[in-house]
Amino acid sequence: MSDIDIKRISNLAKLNLPKEKETFYENSLKDIIQWVDNLKKIDTDIIEPLHNVTETTVSIRTDKVEKYNSVEDVLINAPDRAQNFFKVPKVVE
Amino acid sequence: MKKSISQIKKSLQDKSISVNELYQEYFSIAKKNSHNSFNFVVNENYNDHNIQLSQSRYDSGKPLPLDGIPLGIKDLFCTKGIRTTASSKILSNFIPQYESFVTQQLINDGSLFIGKNNCDEFAMGSSNETSYFGPVINPRKSKNAPNDNFVPGGSSGGSAASVAEGACVASIGTDTGGSIRQPASLCGLVGLKPTFGSCSRWGIIAFASSLDQAGPITNCVEDAAYILNSINKHDFNDSTSSNHQRDDYVTNLHTKFDQSIKIGIPKDYLKDLNSDVIQQIEKTKKVLSKHNIEFVDVEFTTTDYALSTYYIIAPAEASSNLARYDGIRYGLREDGKNLDEIYLNTRTSGFGEEVTRRILIGTYVLSAGYYDAYYRKAQKVRRLIKNDFQRIFQDVDFILTPTTPNEAFKIGDKLDPISMYMNDVFTVPTSLAGLPGISLPSGLSSNGLPLGIQIIGNYFQEKNLLKLALLAEKELAFNE
Repeated sequence: MSDIDIKRISNLAKLNLPKEKETFYENSLKDIIQWVDNLKKIDTDIIEPLHNVTETTVSIRTDKVEKYNSVEDVLINAPDRAQNFFKVPKVVE
Repeated sequence: MKKSISQIKKSLQDKSISVNELYQEYFSIAKKNSHNSFNFVVNENYNDHNIQLSQSRYDSGKPLPLDGIPLGIKDLFCTKGIRTTASSKILSNFIPQYESFVTQQLINDGSLFIGKNNCDEFAMGSSNETSYFGPVINPRKSKNAPNDNFVPGGSSGGSAASVAEGACVASIGTDTGGSIRQPASLCGLVGLKPTFGSCSRWGIIAFASSLDQAGPITNCVEDAAYILNSINKHDFNDSTSSNHQRDDYVTNLHTKFDQSIKIGIPKDYLKDLNSDVIQQIEKTKKVLSKHNIEFVDVEFTTTDYALSTYYIIAPAEASSNLARYDGIRYGLREDGKNLDEIYLNTRTSGFGEEVTRRILIGTYVLSAGYYDAYYRKAQKVRRLIKNDFQRIFQDVDFILTPTTPNEAFKIGDKLDPISMYMNDVFTVPTSLAGLPGISLPSGLSSNGLPLGIQIIGNYFQEKNLLKLALLAEKELAFNE
């Protein structure tokens, strides 16, 4: 098992772990990754990965516009909004 | 003895009870919420209009299939206009503007929603202790420690507890690695996880999309068939929804099998189990052998790898699914100087410990340099697990296992994640293979707590699975 760089992982996951929790999660991840490492014992060289268990074909619907939500429906849960937009801090300088 | 859906419908039809009287019977228990099994109970008058409509349909002699039946709904299903939180702080103020496919079918069939059931946060847990709204208490007590509170199992722990306490006739849960079957077993109820692709995932807050499946938690097998009839339908909005012809699961449920049945018992599942649990299997074997049912020993070669495979695939899918919670469009937003700070502060504050852990595991196994070694490897082993089941189903019609390795444990007793993950050792392989499984109560442990058996069927064999479960239920005659 390779070392776990908890700072890198939490940054990728957009989580800002408090300093005192970093070691806690790092150790927890190490334990779990070590536990799942038993998979390395199985030879899977010629096995295809399984993505969808029933492997049935996706059914295709008619390409017809259906209206589910109004703009108001979509924006009603917005933490911050301005007119018909979600509002966030300035992104472009 | 609690009444079944067919008994309740009969009482409503012959006017020995009105829809309102029935509703109040359950609502009076639900509103007390004494086991914390609900995150939200509807207000006093919420269902008034629907109760009237339901009563008039009974009066005209044309009731809908689930007319007037009070249901609990796991707080993972989007319900239009009713707060839906996934038991997470990050969604604690979220009010969906649309109805999930499954709950829409239940509305169409005349049922009445009594509230949203507590669950583990984003359905990640096996004890309902990870909920932002606090743990759910199992209504069942140990005879040796009657003052102690036990977990109801999870993640659909609130669903199971609410049915067990009599706050609803049935509840709709979701099962990713055992989240319907395990709490049903620990609360002495029936829990059905249908074949993956049976019930649409549209409008269910996603945890692990290749595993999540909706299903009922009920007092009896026949009730599970009634609910399945309502929710098991093809839906174009879920690309993994199967469009095969569905059975009527209630009709002929009580008729005998016209062919002989062979059930496999996996020897490798029974290694090192306590005698209370082994006894459930022995007892089931004994009572079913009278019915032209043959039992044979079977052995899986992949059991030792199932939990590892699950704890790579499920967190990987979760880390991807939960990337959408960023504080911009809905849910919690924690302030920040720029967009990135909003993301970081919102997600760090909004997710609880177990969800954070699984996002981190998922991110790790999907990250550059580790993807092939972990995620792709697990997907390959998943195929071997599926093949292992298919090999066994060439010889047998069903597989019988315990649902859980132990009875319910005390709230707060299991602190390390791996020992918690072990609770799902018998339910996870079925989930990885996408097969249908049903848990039904089989007896009590020496402490007087419920124990359950799991019957696993082949793909889309829910009708026969329910028939066999009904026979087992009758024969085991589980009455305290």
